[in-house]
Parts: sequence; C-alpha cells; structure tokens
Amino acid sequence: MENESKIRVDHLTKKFGDLLVLDDISFEVKQGEFVCVVGPTGCGKTTFLNLLTRIYQPSSGELYIDGIPADPKKHNISFAFQEPSAMPWLTVSQNLEFGMKIKKIPPEERAKRIDRLLKLLGMEDVRDAYPRQLSVSAEQRVIIGRAFSTYPDLLLMDEPYGQMDVKMRFYLEDEVLKLWKEFNSTVIFITHNIEEAVYLAERVLVLSNKPAKIKENIKIDLPRPRDISSEQFIALRRHITDSIKWW
Amino acid sequence: MSRVENHVESGKDPASKNSSIYAFVFRIAPFVSLFLLVFIWFAAAGDNNRIFPNPLIVLRKMIDMLFNPVAKATLLQHAGMSMLRVICGLGFAILIGIPLGVMIGWNGSVRATIGALFECIRPIPVLAWIPLIIMWFGIGEKAKVIMIFIGALTPIVVNSYTGIKFVPALYLDVGKMFNASTEKQLLMKIVLPAALPSIFAGIRNATSVAWMVVLASEMLAAKSGLGFLVYRGMEVFDISLVMAGMVSIGLAGAFLSFLTSFIERKVCPWNTGIKSE
Repeated sequence: MENESKIRVDHLTKKFGDLLVLDDISFEVKQGEFVCVVGPTGCGKTTFLNLLTRIYQPSSGELYIDGIPADPKKHNISFAFQEPSAMPWLTVSQNLEFGMKIKKIPPEERAKRIDRLLKLLGMEDVRDAYPRQLSVSAEQRVIIGRAFSTYPDLLLMDEPYGQMDVKMRFYLEDEVLKLWKEFNSTVIFITHNIEEAVYLAERVLVLSNKPAKIKENIKIDLPRPRDISSEQFIALRRHITDSIKWW
Repeated sequence: MSRVENHVESGKDPASKNSSIYAFVFRIAPFVSLFLLVFIWFAAAGDNNRIFPNPLIVLRKMIDMLFNPVAKATLLQHAGMSMLRVICGLGFAILIGIPLGVMIGWNGSVRATIGALFECIRPIPVLAWIPLIIMWFGIGEKAKVIMIFIGALTPIVVNSYTGIKFVPALYLDVGKMFNASTEKQLLMKIVLPAALPSIFAGIRNATSVAWMVVLASEMLAAKSGLGFLVYRGMEVFDISLVMAGMVSIGLAGAFLSFLTSFIERKVCPWNTGIKSE
C-alpha cells in the first residue's frame, strides 16, 4: 500500500462545447508528495483545479483518490483559494475551526488542532482577532491553516500567494512547507511563478498552452531548505521557463 | 467587500508634528459648536421669551416636567410611553421583516412571489397608510403600533434582502469545499452571518423611521408620549412646552440610536459602520 499512489488522474479531458480545454491529462501523486503545476496564463489551470474539486465534471477520464473515484462526500479534499476568503465574522481561531465544524470533528480534537495550527503559524497572540484587523498576508496564513485543519487527503492550492510581495512570499512558502511536513499532506499547488514552483515542489508538472497537456514532469531533487541562487536551482528554473514558453 | 484598508494599515502621517494640535482641535470642536448654538439661541430669543423662550427657560421647563406631571405623566413617563410604542412596533417589524427579507433574498420563488408584492407596496410611504389605519383600527395603541410596524418593516426587509443577495460567492465556495451541502448549513453558517451587518443597518434605519412615526402618531391622537407633549404645547400656546418636548425628542432619539449601535457592536463586533440602503 505504501508505495501506491494516493491520487491518480487518468486521461482527464474537459471540453466546454467544442472548446477543448484539458486534453488527456494523466499523472499520479504519492501520499505526502508536494506537486506544483505551472503553465502559461489562461492554459486551463483553474479548470484543472475545478475538475479536481469536482466543481466541474470531466468530459472523459477520471480522478481517483486511494483507487476510488474522487467524491467530496467520501474524500477529504481541501482547497486554498487565491482571494482572501477568511470569514470576516469569525475570529482567527474560529476561522481555523470552520471546516472542522462542518466536517463534524469532535470539539476536543478541534481545540487541539487549533492550538497546533496557531502555534505553527505563530498566530497565538492574534487568535481572537478578526480577519479585518489583520494584514492580507496574515489573513492568507489563516486560510492556509484552515485548509490544513481537516487533515485533507488532497490539498489543492490555487496561487495562494499570487498577491503577495516577494518578501512575504518567501516567508509564507517556508510556512506552507512546514505545515506540509508536519501534517504529511498531499499537496497540489498551482502557480505561475516558476521560482516558487522550484522552491516548493518535489515534482513540477508543466502544462502546455491551451488545450492543456502535461508537457513535462520534472522531479526536483534539491536539498531543503533550497538555495534559490544555487546553480542547480537556476538551471531547473531556466529549464522550466524554456519549457513553458509559447512565444 | 472592500479590502483596501489592509494596504494602508501602516500608513503613518509623515506630518505628525501638527497632528496633536489637529487632534486637540477636533476634540473640542463639537463643544464649541454646541456652545455657539446655545449662544445664538440666547441671542435670537432676546427678551420676547413668551414667543421664543431662551435655552434656560426650556431647560427649567424640562426639569419642572421631570417632577410635576403634565397630563398625568412626568417627562420620563411620556418618553417611556413613546419608547414602549417604538419597541413594540419595531419588535414586530424585526420578527417578521428579517425572516421575510432573508427568504426573499435566499429563495428564488419567494422573491418572484412575495418579493414582487413587497416591491409593489413598498413605495407607499407609511404616512399614506395613516387614514386607513385609523379607520380600521381606531386611534388607540394598536393603531400606533401598526403604523410603526409598517414604517419599520420596509428598511428591515430591504436591507436583509440586499445583505443576503450580496454575500460573496467565495464564502459559499469555501463552505461547499468543506462539504457543507445542505441549504440549511449554507444559510446558517455562511449566508446569515455574512449578511448580519447589512441586516443591522436595516434595523438602525428602521429605528429612526419608527421614532419619526411614533411622534406623528402621537400628534394625531394620544394622551401620552413626547409627540403628544409637543402637540399639547401648541394647543395651549405654551411654546416652552413645545421646545422642551422637541429637545426631549432629540435626546430620546439619540439615546435610541446609541442603543442600537451598542447592540450592533455586541452582535457583530467584526463589522460596524456598514452603510444602509
């Protein structure tokens, strides 16, 4: 069981009418793996995610979690949105609790996880603050924490740091890695920032221009913490950049 | 949902040298204005205090009414009667208006039926209802409460409805992502709390409408209440009574709006000061 893949995407294809958006995408993700998906803007990354969360149904092909077709009712899929999506009427700790409450996790367990997340995020001192009182980056950290809180089978992240400045980005990237290791989650992280992908991922999937196919599947075998100015890092980054170029 | 505040959170005014002087000016400015008003009032009143009583006379009248009843009730009892009517009418309007507005906002078929009816009746101002209400329900307490109810209902329904309608879809997506699938879960866990500030803005509006309507109804026919006091003053040509009544109305109205803001801060502490429709 251990070596079997957690997620298996099998010939996934999506058409909107005649428009082919995703063309026969297949890949696997192992339990606890961190995979980044990069691709040119408008290549169908969001459609791809929406298929994984089952907001859309695929035209053909299937997505399996633990060998069973993915079903949000059976599987625990979590999603970190691009936009600030913390509930403004809940405090930081209540926001972390939100998903667990809907999933009916018992209160003692909820309290335990909240404390753990607050500690990992370094937000113990603002646990009773409302999102409005926080900066955008702090709010985004709450969202990341909320996404991890349900111990998801699959955690999808849609450019969660798209709006951050460079400094905050590095800080939050380290934080997401910390959470990922701590919770041993399986993460699919979508980004258009190649440096971010190389920094975070164990494996990078490069999507082609629309209709999107998997153009390349690159293993990133660099030691952590990664040095973004090291030769190998730059070589990988350049390689992916060249692969992604469509002009 | 404006997120702009967050970007300017650390913006300190570089010209902070002057800011302490400004802060001081802004702090005393309201008192200066108030002092000026009283001063101008004194000046305008002059000697002709039967027609235009000066502030001191009005104040004395109010203090006098606190202890000596006018029409069998002291000033506080009159104020209490007006408040009681407002609370009854407003209470019914809240009990019926919030569920109604929420249903109109949440459920398409309710919006198409009851919502459409409501839109037809809404443009008729509450004052236009008064003759009909008097003919049907007389001039007693019931009629007054019904008038206030009609006046307060509209802002509550409209704000509840708009609040529900403008709940960002993103919040619903978050709920669905965590597999909150039933309508009830979405409504109770996401839509209602998200719309609460707007609903409260409706209640705040309704309170000021209710305060206005109760005074109108008391001037039409009543044996108690602040509106009655003002009207009685006119009937017996006691202008100091009219003015004392007006000042009391202002004070009681301010107290009411303070009370609603206070409750609002308790009920939705994350968000105050949302503009109402």
